Amino acid sequence: MALLQVEKMTKEFGGLRAVDSLDLTIEPGQIFGLIGPNGAGKSTAFNCIAGAFAPTSGKITFDGEVINGEKPWNLCKSGLARTFQIVKPFASKDVLYNVTVASFSTTNSRKHAEEKAMAVLESLNFADKKNVLAGNLTIADRKRLEIAKALATEPKLLLLDEVMAGLRPNEVDEMVSIFQDLRKQGITIFIIEHIMRAIMALSDHIVVIQFGKKIAEGSPAEIANDERVIKAYLGDDYVVA
Amino acid sequence: MLYVLEDTINGILMGSIYGLTAMGLTIIFGVLKVINFAHGSLLMVGMYVSYWAIRLTGVHPYVALILVIPIMFIFGYSLQKIIIRPIFIAEKNVREPVTVIIVTTGIWYILDNLTLLLFGPQYRSLGNNPLQGKMLELGEMFISMPKLYGFVTALVTAAAVHWFMHKTVMGRAIRATSMDREAASLMGIDQYKIYNVAFGIGAATTGIAAVTLIPFYNVFPTVGVLFDIKGFIIVVLGGLGSITGALVGGVIIGLIESVGPQFMTATWTEAIVYGLFLVVLFVKPSGLFGQKHDW
Amino acid sequence: MNSQHINKIALLGVLALAFALPLVVRSATYLHILVLLFFYAYLTTSWNIVGGFAGVLPLGHAAFVGIGAYTSTVLSLQYGISPWIGMVVGGVLAMIAGIIIGLPTLKMRGAYFALATIAFAEGLRVMVENIDYLGPLKINGPRGLQIPPLETGFSHFMFATKEPYYYIILIMLLLVMLLTYMVSRSKLGYYLVAGGEEPEAAMALGVNVARARLIAMAVSSFLTALAGTFYAQFSLYIHPKSIISLDMSFEIAFIALIGGRGSIVGPILGALLLRPVSDFCRIYFGDSLPGLHLIIFGLVLILVMLYQPRGLQEPISRLYQRIINRPQPATSGS
Repeated sequence: MALLQVEKMTKEFGGLRAVDSLDLTIEPGQIFGLIGPNGAGKSTAFNCIAGAFAPTSGKITFDGEVINGEKPWNLCKSGLARTFQIVKPFASKDVLYNVTVASFSTTNSRKHAEEKAMAVLESLNFADKKNVLAGNLTIADRKRLEIAKALATEPKLLLLDEVMAGLRPNEVDEMVSIFQDLRKQGITIFIIEHIMRAIMALSDHIVVIQFGKKIAEGSPAEIANDERVIKAYLGDDYVVA
Repeated sequence: MLYVLEDTINGILMGSIYGLTAMGLTIIFGVLKVINFAHGSLLMVGMYVSYWAIRLTGVHPYVALILVIPIMFIFGYSLQKIIIRPIFIAEKNVREPVTVIIVTTGIWYILDNLTLLLFGPQYRSLGNNPLQGKMLELGEMFISMPKLYGFVTALVTAAAVHWFMHKTVMGRAIRATSMDREAASLMGIDQYKIYNVAFGIGAATTGIAAVTLIPFYNVFPTVGVLFDIKGFIIVVLGGLGSITGALVGGVIIGLIESVGPQFMTATWTEAIVYGLFLVVLFVKPSGLFGQKHDW
Repeated sequence: MNSQHINKIALLGVLALAFALPLVVRSATYLHILVLLFFYAYLTTSWNIVGGFAGVLPLGHAAFVGIGAYTSTVLSLQYGISPWIGMVVGGVLAMIAGIIIGLPTLKMRGAYFALATIAFAEGLRVMVENIDYLGPLKINGPRGLQIPPLETGFSHFMFATKEPYYYIILIMLLLVMLLTYMVSRSKLGYYLVAGGEEPEAAMALGVNVARARLIAMAVSSFLTALAGTFYAQFSLYIHPKSIISLDMSFEIAFIALIGGRGSIVGPILGALLLRPVSDFCRIYFGDSLPGLHLIIFGLVLILVMLYQPRGLQEPISRLYQRIINRPQPATSGS
């Protein structure tokens, strides 16, 4: 059974159709990439799935349950975690506190929550920064904190919204290896990304959308050679590597 | 029956003046997304300025507008620029800077109590003026002239603000900032300058409200508090940020206050106003003309 | 000796001082001022649970003080029920009121909540001023209620001297501080802070922000009302203008913001700094310069928000840390 099934999902903003009858199927254990030129509707699709807003029509099924318009905190509890494109740390608190907020979603005890948070920080090689205020972190560390928070909720499906934007090449490589590790732990990943090099290296399966519609789907190799995709990106500033 | 009609008309007139007093509040909220708790104090300052301007020069009350509008604009502009702006900048990472709200209460306390020190607690009335006690006779009904003037002024002011916001470059920049301050600043609009101007306009409309009140309303240091709470209720009723909403909200309050006493004691009408406010919060929190608000 | 030891000793020292103070301060006037100081510190600490941690701005807490004061007073005057029981009843009523105001407004922009709390408090004051009898209950409108000092004793919550009141409010304050400390280290505390700083991010991490805030509001209104009963028994006279006043609501918020919202010592610090100012001004300048203390409040507030938006607890606790972490002189041994 698919972990996430999106059927004929449409989202309109006052007559403007940002996502148009989109179908997606994510299998357990997959790293699933969604790409498309600027304004193709990726973020809108992402936000509908993540519960930030309800789709106008269509059906989203996660782990056997229809989750259309479900509140974000309930989605989180059912095993769906997300990151934000514009990172949102709890800036006045330290890294450990930030991650502990997230791990509280699975326990009521602060001791347990902190232990879990520490375990996540250690798995991300982030434990040395646990006492740094989140507001004082570098961009790369803020992105890492964003992922740590999402992981601490113990998700089955991790939704990543451009977590590599603004990172240096070596930092991108580090992220890629982090996600590969996560997949080994059995976490399914849905990723939107601009950095082609990373998404091609990571994904098992890629869907390309343009004007809210799916235009191609397949393995990274198939996508890289797909004429419609090349055309869609032509003139854009993406580097297909 | 005639009494009810007379009360209704006077309620609408007074209500539109209430709406005018609340207009600045809703303009400032619309742009800065902050409730200006010093709003009543701005009105109080405007009333003292009008009072002295009219007393010292002896002109027709409405001529004082020439003086009051620019003074109040500069006053509001400076308040925002000197006191509120630095706090906005210091808290720019905070989603909803509560500190800004609380600073406006600080301004309120200072203005009201400074006025108390300067002018004393006594009530001052303009006394002899061309509008004093003037009534318009409509058959057997008596309509208060100063309130009729206020009604017309409220409509003209609302129309002028609307025109400014839609037809001028500055007005469009203000509207852009109020819709999405991040996008607007990406377009090269200086968000803080817009705030200064919006605050100035808010204060100026409050000055206009002060001029309409002064021919028939006493001025004293805490006069603003009366209009403060009323203003908060009006803008929530009408929808925070909506100018039409402020007028309509004001008229609703005016009607309750003027028609209500036919059926109950006047103090109970006050309680009804608060009750109505709480009901609106439950049923339609975004108010009559407000947009649905995000977090 | 490490800094943890010093902290413990300092804490014990402050506690001992607080408990010993009435042995030194024999003047009833000063004791009265101290009782009111602790009363405000208690109110602000209760306020802080919702206003500090949850990042919203309640500006009508005097309403809950009023509910507490009136409930216990009416029950004891008319039915002879001990104010201690009335205190709890008042707390529950205030909690219900808090939930009713919070329910529609805590999921919206903070401005709505701030306005709703003000309007509720003002509305309540107007109602009380207009009601002489609420069913069989005598409220006595604008004239308020007088509590005749007939029988003293603990069960009557009535004492001939100020000392017992001093100890009662001190213990109430310590308990509410302990509670705040526990909340700040609990799931609720984490959720309140997260929801206050970044509601969207918090929701995505499983936090039902509106619900956490509502719980905080309920707890805060309950605790605030308890102080209302205390105030009624202490002053023996309550009337709507004094006890459900906008000034009190704002003073609570001011103390919290100047001391430091969302911190445990902030409210205490704020009360220690502001209460003497207001008492001093009222005693010495009340006639010649009315409202002077409010001008000072306003100025201090603006300056603190400009230079220390997290309140004065931040620089002061930094200073304290610096002092206790100073390298020990060699002579201290061990």
